[in-house]
Amino acid sequence: MNRTVSRPPHEGILLFWLLPLAIVCMSVFVIPVVQIVRWSFTDSSLMKEGHELSFRAYIALLSSNDFMSILRTTLIFVISSVLLQVALGFVIALFLDYGDRRGLRGTIIVRTAVLVSWAIPGVVAGVIWKMMFSEMDSGLITSLAHFIVPASRPRFLSSPAAALASSVVANVWRGTAYSMILLYAGLMTFPNDLNEASQIDGANAFQRLFQIKIPVLAPLFLICILLVTVQTFNTFDMLMALTGGGPGRGTEVLALYIYKTIFTEFNLGRGSAAAVLLLLINVAMTWVYFCFLKRGTA
Amino acid sequence: MTRQKSLIVVLLLGTALMLGAQSKPSEATFSLNWTAHPAYSLIGSDPKRVEYLKAAIAEWQKQYPNVKLEANILPTNNAEAMAKLLEQAAQGRAPDIAQIDTYIFPRYLPYLQPIDDLVKAAGIDMKDFFPFAEKIVRGKDGKVYGIQFTTDVRVLFYRKDLVVNPPKTWDDILKISKALKDKGFDAFLFPAGRAEGSVNTSLWPMFWGQGGELVDGNGKAVFGIGANREKMLNILEFYKELVDKGYSPSRLANYGNEADLNTEVAAGRVAMFLGGNFQVAQLASIIGKEGLAKWGVARIPQRVGAKNATSAGGWSWGFFTKEAAKRKAAFDLVLQAYVGDDGMACWTSVAGYLPTRKSVFANPKYQSNEYSDIFKEILETDGMVRPAAEIYPRISSEMQIALSAVISGTKTPEKALDDAWAAVNK
Repeated sequence: MNRTVSRPPHEGILLFWLLPLAIVCMSVFVIPVVQIVRWSFTDSSLMKEGHELSFRAYIALLSSNDFMSILRTTLIFVISSVLLQVALGFVIALFLDYGDRRGLRGTIIVRTAVLVSWAIPGVVAGVIWKMMFSEMDSGLITSLAHFIVPASRPRFLSSPAAALASSVVANVWRGTAYSMILLYAGLMTFPNDLNEASQIDGANAFQRLFQIKIPVLAPLFLICILLVTVQTFNTFDMLMALTGGGPGRGTEVLALYIYKTIFTEFNLGRGSAAAVLLLLINVAMTWVYFCFLKRGTA
Repeated sequence: MTRQKSLIVVLLLGTALMLGAQSKPSEATFSLNWTAHPAYSLIGSDPKRVEYLKAAIAEWQKQYPNVKLEANILPTNNAEAMAKLLEQAAQGRAPDIAQIDTYIFPRYLPYLQPIDDLVKAAGIDMKDFFPFAEKIVRGKDGKVYGIQFTTDVRVLFYRKDLVVNPPKTWDDILKISKALKDKGFDAFLFPAGRAEGSVNTSLWPMFWGQGGELVDGNGKAVFGIGANREKMLNILEFYKELVDKGYSPSRLANYGNEADLNTEVAAGRVAMFLGGNFQVAQLASIIGKEGLAKWGVARIPQRVGAKNATSAGGWSWGFFTKEAAKRKAAFDLVLQAYVGDDGMACWTSVAGYLPTRKSVFANPKYQSNEYSDIFKEILETDGMVRPAAEIYPRISSEMQIALSAVISGTKTPEKALDDAWAAVNK
């Protein structure tokens, strides 16, 4: 018995209409990525013509103590930022949802206020927090610290550990809104009957939160964590304005290292190698995201 | 006699024709591709600068009515801008004329065209430029490939009411600082964070003063070996002593640019600081002219036995076009707006930079201030520029990290310097 596979109608036309998208994807994503990978295997510099093919950039990076310290700083910055952003975003979303359900006024103002921090460009956020963390007596947080403990001499930006903590605080302030939006959207669509049924069954607020709401919203939490993680790995503009990566290399994260290596040291080969490593981290994150998404829809 | 008369008539006619030709607008028709930093262009954020440039370009356009000026803008990040311009030049896509960060000028020499004939015709004496500005635009063949049209200089600012005699040596600083600290002042500030300002202002002048060299004649890094290592170490140890004794605060580790010190100065607790001439205008707008009047300017203090030295920066125009007509038009453009007697006097006055030609300081159109003479004197005798070697940006970056780490107390001077040296050579 001959079985003929029927092709979907208008397949040729559909492919034709997808062509512009394919061209755009090729030119703005695939080609630049291929170029960066190619550069990463060279000793290219923006200050000289020509290059030699080699693994030198990867060897120099991976055998460098500085690079290991940058990776460690990046991990601390990303993990702390993500945990705090998601946790705070969820708390704010819960308050907003609570307010909405009871018809409280002012939730729009709160939402807008939180969103403003997200809308502010990274460089501006960095400058704002640099002023806030100023170690001069006139610095807002320093003067508060003096008020509480008169003899204190806080070093928010001049001690590496404190500068990293300050950077996390600034990043959390800026990024919490994103988590809040995602989780608030989840809470808005949370089935009310589930909530009511648990109340009838006698579950208290904490039980409803930890045994019903959070488990139901778990896939959304995962998506939120993954997106925020990728976003935080790529953060450098705010840090550039806040600390410039210092003191020493105290707050130099991978994305900032890439920028400085390429645009202030003109070392295209090594900067590209670091960019490829960052790309691999982001691809791994995206892969995890798709795996969970697939499992969720299955 | 008749022959003599005829000769005179011919000469007179020739002269008249030449004069006529000079004042006659050029009939050449072409586009001139002019690439400038935003702050030096028609899209700058300072209305005074834009107004001046519009008028200057309009004047130039009278001479070249058929030339279409195509203005392009460099990225605001200087390092990024220079890297992109160099890439363009290497690929044969350079503009006809472009603005170049002067210290890096020698790297563009293979792509630039000489302008000696135009400089001579304009009556500009290259010896009128400060020595560093004259030297940097010359190729190995001795020809002139560009014109440095602005400069800046790093100096010591001190409060005249607190410091009677400005310190000349590090020992003087230590002596003066103790008394100032006891009075509750931050005695001595300097940029020590992650930006070019920290090395350019706080390290290189003191390093050069001791005779230190960042790179050798082949452009290879040498700052971390032999006598150079000792000289660099001296500076890091001196700064550490200042911080340890409480004369300089550790928060300097987060100030990468000279202008980062302005808020400290405005707070009124600073007695001395290392900075740039450009801070005069910035501080005048923050603390007012009365506040500024308290401040004096002196040479950067050096180690006992070292010579005077400072770091000078600025911008140049480089001529890429090989077409004679375009080169002439481009030269006349910069002559009109930035380089000629009045052009340099007006532009540096409007924009707040220092002229690179000594004679311009005496030009009636140059708006000098009470510090102009000392800036000129320091530039003339002490001015030095950073090396244009390919390795320099790496040296700068690693030494910024080293200085910042020492000031924050994260590393000892030896460890910081050795780490920087190892990183540069990796």
